[in-house]
Amino acid sequence: MGTPSFAAKRLPVAALLPLKRLRAQLAPTVADGLLSLGLLALIAWAAVQLFGWAIGRADWAVLQLNSMLLLVGRYPLAEQWRLWLLGGLLAAQAGLSWGLLRAWPRADRREQGQLWPRHDRIAVVVIILLALLLPAGLRLAGPLQGRWGLLAAVLLALRWAAGRWAADHWGGRLHRRGLKLLGLLWPLLYLLGFWLIGGGLGLAAVAPGDWGGLLLTVVMASFAMALSFPLGVLLALGRRSSLPVLRWGSVAYIEFIRGAPLITLLFIGQNILGFLLPAGMSPDRVWRAAWVLTLFAAAYLAEAVRSGLAAVPRGQLEAARSLGLNQAQALVTVVIPQALRVALPTMVGQFIALVQDTTLLSLIGLLDLLGMARGIMANPEFLGHSSELYLVLAVLYWSCCAALGLGSRALERRLDPRNLAGSP
Amino acid sequence: MIRAEGVEKWYPNGFHALRGASLTVNRGEVVVIMGPSGSGKSTFIRTFNALEDFQKGSITVDGLALSNDVRQIDAIRREVGMVFQQFNLFPHLSVLENLTLAPVLVRKRPRAEVEQQAMALLERVGIAEQAEKFPGQLSGGQQQRVAIARALCMEPRILLFDEPTSSLDPEMVREVLDVIQALAAEAITMVVVTHEVRFARQVAHRVVLMDEGVVVEQAAPEAFFTAPRHERTQRFLEQIL
Ligand SMILES: Nc1ncnc2c1ncn2[C@@H]1O[C@H](COP(=O)(O)OP(=O)(O)OP(=O)(O)O)[C@@H](O)[C@H]1O
Ligand SMILES: [Mg+2]
Repeated sequence: MGTPSFAAKRLPVAALLPLKRLRAQLAPTVADGLLSLGLLALIAWAAVQLFGWAIGRADWAVLQLNSMLLLVGRYPLAEQWRLWLLGGLLAAQAGLSWGLLRAWPRADRREQGQLWPRHDRIAVVVIILLALLLPAGLRLAGPLQGRWGLLAAVLLALRWAAGRWAADHWGGRLHRRGLKLLGLLWPLLYLLGFWLIGGGLGLAAVAPGDWGGLLLTVVMASFAMALSFPLGVLLALGRRSSLPVLRWGSVAYIEFIRGAPLITLLFIGQNILGFLLPAGMSPDRVWRAAWVLTLFAAAYLAEAVRSGLAAVPRGQLEAARSLGLNQAQALVTVVIPQALRVALPTMVGQFIALVQDTTLLSLIGLLDLLGMARGIMANPEFLGHSSELYLVLAVLYWSCCAALGLGSRALERRLDPRNLAGSP
Repeated sequence: MIRAEGVEKWYPNGFHALRGASLTVNRGEVVVIMGPSGSGKSTFIRTFNALEDFQKGSITVDGLALSNDVRQIDAIRREVGMVFQQFNLFPHLSVLENLTLAPVLVRKRPRAEVEQQAMALLERVGIAEQAEKFPGQLSGGQQQRVAIARALCMEPRILLFDEPTSSLDPEMVREVLDVIQALAAEAITMVVVTHEVRFARQVAHRVVLMDEGVVVEQAAPEAFFTAPRHERTQRFLEQIL
């Protein structure tokens, strides 16, 4: 490390031959070379150990027997087709969005999809690994493997097809309109999702208490994300409002929430809300927890948005107002879009934290992914196999967070006007 | 068009920035405001479209009195365009969208029609081929010309310029001043704060000197630059000429 390696990094590395390039990157000096070698050896050793354990000593039966529990909890078997349908729709919509977004350079940018080819490909490889190799390696039940693979296939096929189609057929204007439409599809799918999961309106109702595992984790996290976002923006605006009541109310709320650990808030939500609200009025345990998560995340998001708002120069609002836009129009069309772009990395960081925070739900007795796993581990039949479970859990949580991270970075680059610069 | 009488303004920190400034701008007239730094030029013209409030005096713009009535203020802002020293283009919108945003949103005009007009305006300021680009991709001079076109797209009756060329590299000053000069030839009412003497001589109908929050002297450009009556104007001219 130190200055030599830094100087070496600034060589036009890409211009060198592959082998030389590798050398320039890994071993610009002898000391760096040794360090690289040592680290590589360490990684290789860890990988060998892990594989040895995974193939030899580990017993994956615990997963084969409990895969459905981990995925959907006690969701009634007869109704599970709804979840797979939803999964298929989500995969289709995600593939569509991914493909279009990827092929969405504006009119001045002709090299299609140049903005994130590397991450994009890594993501594809990871999805294939997760969807095909992991279930196969764990020897999960055949139908489960098949469906899992099908979801991945739908996702990737639509990503490819949509990207192709968009690259060939869409000019700038039409393209942008199409993306807006796509943006509308997400909330629709969201509502549809809740209908499919919860039932009602002709479908057999499935009580939230029966949702569990990955399903519950995803439902809770996405619910909290979707609602905390607008709430957070409103709170951040409230904090800057010229109305003292609004301002102090927002500040008090944000500071109170940020000062309290989530777990206490969850307990408050479970116990106290039950007493406060008249019986029947108080929502189900799962929904109570979902609201607490939402209100919790909103406070943190508000802070992220506030920093974004602070980064927008005053002149932007003045220019908008001087053109005759009223305060609301100026905020919505000029200030907030710029603020959100600045706040995006922080916000996604909060969302990732939120996904991880859902594990606290297991402490208040909900059977989210972690809660389910703990339940399984408590079963004497599977004693001593917690490592296998934890490993799979780690992979699942990591996938959710990595998807968020990759998506946001892609969006971030896509939204950054500097990346649209015509000059290379 | 603009009648400001005895305008006094205190900033929230108590600074007395305008101390009874008065100015009348007639229809079709180009008024250039000059004065030393900190004399209140920006503050003064920013009161004309209510970007700054004031505590005493009165301002009427195009027959409408500036008051605290939000509707009145919005109505005035629609008719008064402003070009800033720092351009203040919207970086997240393309050049064309910068122009069309307000007419579509505020005047509720059909987008296609506004886009046509916007392209014509960009043509006029000489950057039609940049319409799909983003402000960050343009030079300072180009950005300022877009800002002028953006203001024009609202079809304002009055245009305010606050040092439109002060943050430009010297070689770009001319292209922006040329655009403003062309506008002046079309009899648009304009108030321009600038330090460009040559521009003031060629374009202004009247040159105004501000100092310490008041209008000290106003005269036709020739008289202003060659035979200033006021001692403070003489001192100011000595410094800049
Ligand atoms: N927001 C503010 N709060 C307090 N004082 C201010 C504020 N804005 C400006 N001032 C003060 O008011 C005075 C007039 O400012 P103004 O910007 O109008 O001057 P100006 O004539 O435009 O100067 P310049 O040529 O430097 O732009 C200055 O002394 C300045 O320090
Ligand atoms: Mg100024």
